[in-house]
Amino acid sequence: MSPAAEAALCARDLLVRRVSRASVFELRIDSLELQRGSVLAVLGPNGAGKSTLLRTLAGLERPLRGRSERRVDGPVTMVFQRPIAFSGSVAHNLRVALSGLRLRRAERTARVEEALEHFGIGRLASRRAATLSGGELRRLALARAFALRPAVLLLDEPFDDLDPGGQESLSLDLRNAIASTGVAVAVVTHDLRRALLLCDRIAVLLEGRLAQEGERDEVLSRPNSLEVAQLVGMSNLIEGVLRSGGAEGEPGVSRVEVDAQHQLPALTRLAPGTRVWAGVRPERLKVDVGRGEGLPIGKGRVRAVLSDGVAVTVQISWAGRELRTHLLAGRGLARTVAPGDSVTLSVRPEDVHLIPRDG
Amino acid sequence: MTELSLPLVLEITVRTLLVCGAALLVSLGLGLPLGIWLGRWRFRGRVLGISLVNSGMGAPPVVVGLVVSLLLWRSGPLGWLDLMYSPAAMVLAQVVIALPLVVGITLAAAGALDEDWELQARTLGIPSARRLWLLVREIRLGLLAAVIAALGGILSEVGAVLAVGGNLAGETRMLTTAVLMYTQMGEFELALVMAGVLVGMTLLLAGLLTVVQQGGRS
Repeated sequence: MSPAAEAALCARDLLVRRVSRASVFELRIDSLELQRGSVLAVLGPNGAGKSTLLRTLAGLERPLRGRSERRVDGPVTMVFQRPIAFSGSVAHNLRVALSGLRLRRAERTARVEEALEHFGIGRLASRRAATLSGGELRRLALARAFALRPAVLLLDEPFDDLDPGGQESLSLDLRNAIASTGVAVAVVTHDLRRALLLCDRIAVLLEGRLAQEGERDEVLSRPNSLEVAQLVGMSNLIEGVLRSGGAEGEPGVSRVEVDAQHQLPALTRLAPGTRVWAGVRPERLKVDVGRGEGLPIGKGRVRAVLSDGVAVTVQISWAGRELRTHLLAGRGLARTVAPGDSVTLSVRPEDVHLIPRDG
Repeated sequence: MTELSLPLVLEITVRTLLVCGAALLVSLGLGLPLGIWLGRWRFRGRVLGISLVNSGMGAPPVVVGLVVSLLLWRSGPLGWLDLMYSPAAMVLAQVVIALPLVVGITLAAAGALDEDWELQARTLGIPSARRLWLLVREIRLGLLAAVIAALGGILSEVGAVLAVGGNLAGETRMLTTAVLMYTQMGEFELALVMAGVLVGMTLLLAGLLTVVQQGGRS
């Protein structure tokens, strides 16, 4: 958290309980802050309590204990996973949302036009909301929320059902709107890549508990558990034992022994002999036909190559395990790599994150 | 033999309109809020309430007439009101028939709205009175269907109003009871005129409401 960050919404000691015939679900959050001008991505598997958290922050779910408190002026509003439009025109939808603010007509009109233009649907102002496409409906829901000039905006799966082009274009518009208004945003999404385009911070929910929360890059590169690592896309997780750990107080390069022939370099303060999961993000695992960048960890054989036109995912066998790395499509090795190729793998010690396996 | 006259037809038609209009207003006044409540709010006993409404939609009018008669009969629990064989008794019977129709169709329309509709309106800070108005606007096609169904049920109903109204000349005679009576008396000319007025009135009112309903769709 940067020292200048100003909390817009603070949740403390929250306990929300949902009882159904089959089970009892509890969401427990000790402390969570949404900061002005910052986007918090809430990640977690299905049923972890992401939507419940969002609804509680929006004041739609009453906690058994604790509360969320707004620290700045302005409303807290939410855009739902299924965007809901009121009957009438697109502009009417925004005017209705502004009806609670008692604005002068001129200001109301200006806000409506500004929000519609911001999300690229100004030309649809007089169109009936019921005739909008899924993508246009999402833009309407976001424009309506932004027209309120909220202090806090809560987004539940804002990119659901959009094609990749629509997702990218909406991400850019949303990012611009957030930057220009300074609103504090929490976004729940199952799409990690889309979340990463928007967020500055990440909170990971597991079984109703906040497993980790922090700056985006910190959580991505330093997950505090195996479950969090898997959720934030650290797909290369290799079991090993730490050998020759760094000196106390002065971390040096250590080795993670995977087996007799394979080892990984790492920077750590953990004691030698510790059993660990060594995590390497796919984009940090370097692959080359030559010497490669970073410390070489041995040869691997390419098992499969998948490309979506932007990124190429290469699956490689190494030390009896399947590792993954990402290359930029159409560049360098990505143009020539093929299944069966022998490649050199390398990784920088600072890109290997260790998670103790015991306790 | 009764002579066909314009004053007679007018008198029965006006009474029919007044009684049916009052019954419709009361049914809508009670049924629309109840339907919205049952359609949108989740509470213990809701399913039982909906089951009762659905059963009421199919209640035979003559049985409704019997039950209302028992209630309003001099020795009945509401006998002290002295409403038996009065227009008020007919209004009550018609309300009992139309109310389940209004509630049932309204709750179906309200229940079809997205579950998160209220929550979305709340998170936009829309005041509660305005939210209710917006909700009514959202389900207006269903509400108009409820009005049309209730109007049809009330205008065409004969068994219950005959039981509690008694078809008294100049007091409780309605177009439906008059058609029935003149048919039984073999005075088919009068029966046909009354039936024509009734059918014309039903077509006109239902047609107008349908125009309004379909206008709201575009």
